[in-house]
Amino acid sequence: MTVTPFPGSDTRVAPVPVFDIEKVLASIETMAAQRPVAAQIVSVANSDDTSAKALARILASDVALASRVMKLANSAYFGMRGRVTSLQFAVTVVGFTTVRTMATVALTNLDDESRLPENFWDVTTSLALAASSLAPRFGERPQESLCLGLLAQMGAALLHHNDPVGYGEILASEPTYRGRRSAETRRYGINGLRLTSVALEQWGFPVSLTTPLKEIDDDRSMDGALLRAAFEVAARLTVEDYEDEPIVRLTCGRLREDDVVPVLDQVRADAAELRRAMLGETAASDDPSGNPEEWTP
Amino acid sequence: MSVSMSTTEHHTVPPEIVSTVFYSATVSESLAILVAETIGGTQRLTWGNESALRLLGYGIEDLRVLPVGRLFPTLGGGELKLLLRRERAARMTLPVRTASGADLEAVVVTTPSPGGRMWTVRLLSTANEQERALRATADAHERRFSALTERSPVPTLLSEQGMRLAHVNDAFCSLVGRRAEQLLGTGWIDTIHEDDLDGVIERVAAALEGDEVEIQARLVRDDGTVRTTVIRFAHLFSPGVGAGFVGTIEDITDRLAFEARLAHQANHDPLTGLPNRTLLAQYVAARFVSGTSGLACLFLDLDNFKVVNDSLGHTAGDELLVEVADRLRATVRPGDLVARFGGDEFVVVCEDVDEDAAVTLAGRVSDALAQPMRLGGVDVRPYASVGVTVQTAEHVMAEELIRDCDIAMYQAKAGGKGRVTVLDQQARAEAREKLRLVAELRDAIEGCEISLYYQPIFGTQDGAPVAVESLARWNHRERGAISPATFVPLAEESGLITGLGLLVLEETCRQIADWDHLLGPAAPPRANVNVSALQLDDNLPAQVAAALERHGLDPSRISVEITESALMKDPDSARAVLQQLRDLGVELAIDDFGTGYSSLAYLRHLPVDCLKVDRSFVAELADGHAEIASAVIALAGNLGLRTVAEGVETVEQAEELARLGATYLQGFSLAPPMTGGRTAAWFAARSGEER
Repeated sequence: MTVTPFPGSDTRVAPVPVFDIEKVLASIETMAAQRPVAAQIVSVANSDDTSAKALARILASDVALASRVMKLANSAYFGMRGRVTSLQFAVTVVGFTTVRTMATVALTNLDDESRLPENFWDVTTSLALAASSLAPRFGERPQESLCLGLLAQMGAALLHHNDPVGYGEILASEPTYRGRRSAETRRYGINGLRLTSVALEQWGFPVSLTTPLKEIDDDRSMDGALLRAAFEVAARLTVEDYEDEPIVRLTCGRLREDDVVPVLDQVRADAAELRRAMLGETAASDDPSGNPEEWTP
Repeated sequence: MSVSMSTTEHHTVPPEIVSTVFYSATVSESLAILVAETIGGTQRLTWGNESALRLLGYGIEDLRVLPVGRLFPTLGGGELKLLLRRERAARMTLPVRTASGADLEAVVVTTPSPGGRMWTVRLLSTANEQERALRATADAHERRFSALTERSPVPTLLSEQGMRLAHVNDAFCSLVGRRAEQLLGTGWIDTIHEDDLDGVIERVAAALEGDEVEIQARLVRDDGTVRTTVIRFAHLFSPGVGAGFVGTIEDITDRLAFEARLAHQANHDPLTGLPNRTLLAQYVAARFVSGTSGLACLFLDLDNFKVVNDSLGHTAGDELLVEVADRLRATVRPGDLVARFGGDEFVVVCEDVDEDAAVTLAGRVSDALAQPMRLGGVDVRPYASVGVTVQTAEHVMAEELIRDCDIAMYQAKAGGKGRVTVLDQQARAEAREKLRLVAELRDAIEGCEISLYYQPIFGTQDGAPVAVESLARWNHRERGAISPATFVPLAEESGLITGLGLLVLEETCRQIADWDHLLGPAAPPRANVNVSALQLDDNLPAQVAAALERHGLDPSRISVEITESALMKDPDSARAVLQQLRDLGVELAIDDFGTGYSSLAYLRHLPVDCLKVDRSFVAELADGHAEIASAVIALAGNLGLRTVAEGVETVEQAEELARLGATYLQGFSLAPPMTGGRTAAWFAARSGEER
């Protein structure tokens, strides 16, 4: 528990944001109306009595989303080697939170790269895989951490979508993620990760998924440490001429540089496939799991 | 419901807020409710219920001057707008600062009133919530579970999603010789043998869908060694998360090795380590395709193994067998099978060879065996007779191949020891013929197709018939009469002799009783029954006694004839049996006397009554050679034995034998063998003549 002096009755006026953040959130709901199936999945997937059968039934009405779930279930990440031929089994394999995450991605148009900051999915897949690989070191569930990584940049995407020019300036002037977050707060009154957490809370995603987003800049917070480490891995892999930050400091001493080496390899190996699954892209080789005609009921 | 309204008259709560509060589904006594309003560009709290005041530690007056932002210190900048939205309800989990300055973790739910200038704010302190207790319980459960599996000696896997592992215990890590972090996620897949991976994934798929399944799979350790395991998968469902599995692993490598050892022992000879007869049969059967060629068998039998065993002892004999096995293994081509067939017999099976190659190999094997070896201080050359058979179109069954090379080996042995013989077609045909005949003989004995003929024996002095000899006849349905010279040895070789002997004994006794009944005193006084060497055991006296008793006959009505060579096989035991027969009161005769090599000293001690002079010596009389017949008769006379001369064909021979002193005569010219009925008539007629 943190104890701070009782604040006086004076009211510090918050800096006035250059645009209305509430409109940004409202825009998500407009998008949701266009993807009713994804919205329905987001709303039911966290309930304790959800079953793979029920989720698969809803999912089946959004073929694009369903085929991504199938593709992901058969990806190397889950090790099932193409054994997943039914949607219900695909939901079982990837887990409810992942299905929900994919629905959220669809809902917020994160699958439309034309609306996204440059390099968005390269960073996001690296972030997600790094978080997943590192999760056991932090006592977290890898699956949930994968989802955290996939969704973390949703807020930044929304800011970019609503203010492409202004956000472009931030990207150009701030090479580090931390610096970018400060700039976001200055310009919008909130940073991208917090915006993500607000939206996820709104949709009832578990606290374990939103807390790291809120606490990333609290260097003493272990909840933020995993995400900091994941961002560091993603940066090392995706940012040109990146100057490494010491991992020991980022993770409150939980990780050493040696621990990062295999994670870098792992992420590099799996990123392309995860990206294809998330975006529904077809690889050069024809993949039957993406074709609904091939699924068993 | 105890939501009390601590309002002041200046700040009345709009009815819509009250209704929101009262009709909200989640209102409860512990629910803390605040009202916020936009006043002069900032949001201020204008009201709170008692729960809220108690929770935050403010008096209502203090609360009413508080900007909303003060309550939520972590909401910087424009973020407050996200909590107090004009058109929609919002929900956040965040710290709420109390009057004491302490932060309180809470779920904050805001609902705007129409117009978007006033909000109800509900605070759900997570610290007091049942939810937290439940989470703690769940965490404790998980910790207990992981502690349990962590210390369990059973290698255990806990999945996270799909094939991905969230947890492995120490036992699994040490089983595969890797660290947990190498195994988590999909890392453990590398430990599954490539050939077993598909099966494992299939079972995982079944487990994820709710089944309990198991599979035998090989795990590859870090050092490259392979362990064979049974992996059992059980379904695991976490509400709200999805399906996973628990896998437990049983290392069955040692058990399988033990079972393999047992199986090996069942199929191998413990002395030489070679495959045994069972495995040989399986091996040949597995490779035999009827109508093709290319398989060849070598059948080896050590010549003189019995000599080594008898003279140097069984240990030396075993040593010899081991050495032979080693030499065979070293001499055959890679891929050939060497098996110990039994005793001192070995079989080599080769594939893709013709007769020349098989014979060459047999020669090489013979040469290798013929090298001397030192055994018990003596140089021994383990010569072998080798029979060779190459598969032909005539081989219909796999076992025929081995049987044929067995025949070839006997041919080799018969031709002199240390030889290699390829089975020739005639020998094969003969052997097959013999086999068929044995089967038919068995049927004949069981079906009483063997009939008895009786040939009278006459006293030399008075020419009166004193006895008959029982002669077995086999009248084959298709082949006609088959000579005893053919079927008796066949019965001896094939183990049918006991049955045949008993048949002859029984039928003879029945016939004597029948004659007695028909002819009274004119019946043949005695019948001679031939007994094979193989019947000459401890059972014989009892069998004879039983037959006599069954038909109410005096023992003197039977004479047992035994060949000289039969007596010489095991003289001591033969003498004992003869003595028992003699004690019974049965007469004893030695058949074919003079054809064997019995020592005269031995003969003297045998309890016999009569010698039968072999027909070959009788035949010599016609050529003027009476020496042997004369000597045998004289010898018998000197030992106090009677003699029967067999094969008397002419009156001259009869007279000569009488002159030499033979006691009895038997021959076709005197009286041929006759059926039981005819014999009765013959004796009746003789009796009539004499009267």
